[in-house]
Amino acid sequence: MSAAILPLPAARRALSPWQFWGRVLIAPYLVIFAVFVLYPVLYGLWLARHPESYVRLIDDPIFFRTAINTIIFIVVAINLKMLVALALSGFFVQARWWIKVLSVLFILPWAVPSIPTILSVRFMLNPEWGVINTTIFRLTGLDGPNWLNDPALALSFSMLMHVWKSLPFWTLILVAGRLAIPLEQYEAASVDGATRWQKFRFITWPSMRSLYLTSTILSMIWTLGDFNSVYLLTGGGPADLTHVLATLGIRYLRLDQVDLAMASIVVALPLVLPLVYFMMKRLSK
Amino acid sequence: MKRKAITREAQLLLIGIPVFLWTMIPIYHLFLFAISGRDSATSGRLWPKDPTLQNFSVVFQQHHFYLNHFWVQLGNSLVIALTVGALTLIIATTAAFAISRLKVRGGRLVMNLALFTYFIPAAFLAVPMYKTMGNYGLLNNQWALILAMVTIASPYCIWVLKQASDKLPWELDEAARIDGASPLQLFRLVYVPLMVPSLVAVGTYALLLAWNEYLYAFLLLSRDDSVTLSVALGNFLAADDSPWELLMATGFIYALPPAAIYYAFKRYMVGGLTAGAVKS
Amino acid sequence: MATVSFRDVKKRFGSTAVIHGVSIDIDDGEFVVLVGPSGCGKSTLLRMLAGLEEISGGDILIDGRVVNDLESKDRDIAMVFQSYALYPHMTVRENMGFSLRLRRAENRTIDERVMQAARILNLDKLLERHPRELSGGQRQRVAMGRAIVRDPKVFLFDEPLSNLDAKLRVAMRAEIKQLHQRLQTTTVYVTHDQIEAMTMADRIVVMQDGIIEQIGTPLELFDSPRNLFVAQFIGSPAMNVFDGAVRDGAVEGLAASWPMPPGVGAPTGQQVQYGVRPTDLQLGSRGIAGTVVVVEPTGAETELLVDVGGQQLTVVTHGRVTAKPGQSIKLLPDPARVHVFDTRSGQRLQ
Repeated sequence: MSAAILPLPAARRALSPWQFWGRVLIAPYLVIFAVFVLYPVLYGLWLARHPESYVRLIDDPIFFRTAINTIIFIVVAINLKMLVALALSGFFVQARWWIKVLSVLFILPWAVPSIPTILSVRFMLNPEWGVINTTIFRLTGLDGPNWLNDPALALSFSMLMHVWKSLPFWTLILVAGRLAIPLEQYEAASVDGATRWQKFRFITWPSMRSLYLTSTILSMIWTLGDFNSVYLLTGGGPADLTHVLATLGIRYLRLDQVDLAMASIVVALPLVLPLVYFMMKRLSK
Repeated sequence: MKRKAITREAQLLLIGIPVFLWTMIPIYHLFLFAISGRDSATSGRLWPKDPTLQNFSVVFQQHHFYLNHFWVQLGNSLVIALTVGALTLIIATTAAFAISRLKVRGGRLVMNLALFTYFIPAAFLAVPMYKTMGNYGLLNNQWALILAMVTIASPYCIWVLKQASDKLPWELDEAARIDGASPLQLFRLVYVPLMVPSLVAVGTYALLLAWNEYLYAFLLLSRDDSVTLSVALGNFLAADDSPWELLMATGFIYALPPAAIYYAFKRYMVGGLTAGAVKS
Repeated sequence: MATVSFRDVKKRFGSTAVIHGVSIDIDDGEFVVLVGPSGCGKSTLLRMLAGLEEISGGDILIDGRVVNDLESKDRDIAMVFQSYALYPHMTVRENMGFSLRLRRAENRTIDERVMQAARILNLDKLLERHPRELSGGQRQRVAMGRAIVRDPKVFLFDEPLSNLDAKLRVAMRAEIKQLHQRLQTTTVYVTHDQIEAMTMADRIVVMQDGIIEQIGTPLELFDSPRNLFVAQFIGSPAMNVFDGAVRDGAVEGLAASWPMPPGVGAPTGQQVQYGVRPTDLQLGSRGIAGTVVVVEPTGAETELLVDVGGQQLTVVTHGRVTAKPGQSIKLLPDPARVHVFDTRSGQRLQ
């Protein structure tokens, strides 16, 4: 055996078929990422590079209003949604045949596309012939309010719409979380004489706390991107008073003010990126 | 003891009935409009005086200005959704295989990039994507929407598939290697057959995502014969005297496939999609 | 059929060296067992031979050819894994025929070879079942069948019997041995169980901490262990070992005088470890005094724990004994079969 031949370090040897195909098979996604994520992001940031865009943005009263709307939306809609999801998760784990049937129907808002359903609600809210106002008239003889013409009511309905659509998903997640808790813990607590509330406080909640937090954070991120619930219900109106972050960008785009559109997104990044970072730490492995 | 059981049932019903009403009202209203004539739809009744399928007939025969291209648009939605589902499946499966089984270098970084993309709301990417597609000359081309949706759907799919892949025993790959399998043979003959349930969940997810999409479709496509059904529905809102009952009938048709698919594949979907999120 | 050689093989994980220069020459048709405690490197060595781990130094040869850079599939080897590694979505037939299918062999050839292997292993009735429908022993046989169909130069076994219960293990040991006698394929077998090694091997390689302690036939290792580790690892129940010092041609330990093996000399005062197997201590009226602690009759033999000078020694005799706990007895060691090890180096004195 010739001892003079030194073994080559692995990096300099030719790629084994396994390494070769590893790179080839991951390439399609990398191409998609580079062409449709990296480039648009960089291009978008480049479009938002002028400091004076931000000055114009802040001077725009609509932007200020949008920021408030967005914050209200996030704080109210998400907490409402998550609390209801938490409560309903306890409901849906009960073993009754009709609850099982109900859980199947309950998924519909999430499974079905939003346009038909949001438009359906929009028509329910029509001040002249919508179901709600005609029912109010029939019961009381009074004219119901012009729901979507009042900014506060319009925004509230957008939030309700958002909750309607996304509640099933989060309820499902929390149900899965509940099912992961071993039944014996509850049985032991029963033997110890715990009330339902005590069981929740000492068994359910400690196990679910982390999942609830993660879900809330993720829900916040996605709610920031809920375009449909506002746009299809109110169009951002009346008078651009119910815009949220997701719809504002499009508004500027339609007014051909692309730099403002991008600036409005960039301005939101300090809020979004920490939340995303938090989620990544939780879930990436 | 029996009284306790009754109060328990009553408590549950007290929750169940409102939940049922809350869930079904918008959907029922949609259905109501779809089967009502013009006038009775807006009368505020709970069940139409003369329920009719006339609206559907009008829609199917494209007998209205806004419905001129109904079938083409329906076809567009279908083709785009299927293409997105298929493409995403291919890209996500190969990427997950490379990261999980072939342990490609930088796999972890790619996984994190994908996860990052998944968390960023799609609406944030909409404006830059619109400008970018303009730069690429793809505006009004269905491929713009297809590729955009593939981009949006892939990250989650890769993540779900990777989690599922990691559960396969490592010795299977070693045994296959010793049996003489090349990387592609391992992929085709061992990996894919074992991943079928996850593949179904992931493909369905991507398909539904594309079918249900409004914002990107509405930004990237504009010609009446190239838009999807979701955009066409949105266009109804342009005028004040639009035929609302036709809109709802069209909307009902549009809503049926996702509901049907979801219920058909419920088994795969719930397991596959929530498994990812409960990891924390 | 082929020879296998490890030439000064080394393995590093990162900066940690786990195998420090191992050399073994295996003849064509030999059944060699790599045995040792967990972490000794035996599985790593096997996996390097299989091509599942990179070789950090040295060479591995199959049939005289260096295979360091060859892919697993080009080495003409077959491996049976501890967890069987059967493809869950394929039937037994498809599992066994998989390697041939990959090579695009003709269906007829595949059927023939699969049927042949199935008959040898009594699997012909199970060919259409899936792995999840089989018992542990059946799955193990399918794994072996998959290896046989390959008709490789070398069989590799990675602790294949560890997942089976004791009785099944004994039965499978015999089956594997019979298979080897029939096929005469060179076999490298890894286990932590020294009984498997003793009963199945043509030669045993005892390893510890990445080096070879001794290579030899089972009886060689049993009769002439090179050092204390091998002496205590091989043989069940384990060899009795106690501290002693050399004095005038004998060993003083446990307050008694023990005979040195013939032809072995050591200077007075040398610190040694004295080793004598339970079967080499005769119960009788002559010899070293001790007190019986426990008597364990196992039917054909009797195992006793005897206290000698404060330490409990194990004694195994054929047949029944009349001794009772607490009784005083005498133990006579067979001088031709005792071992003396230098305390510092652990090596046997010869």
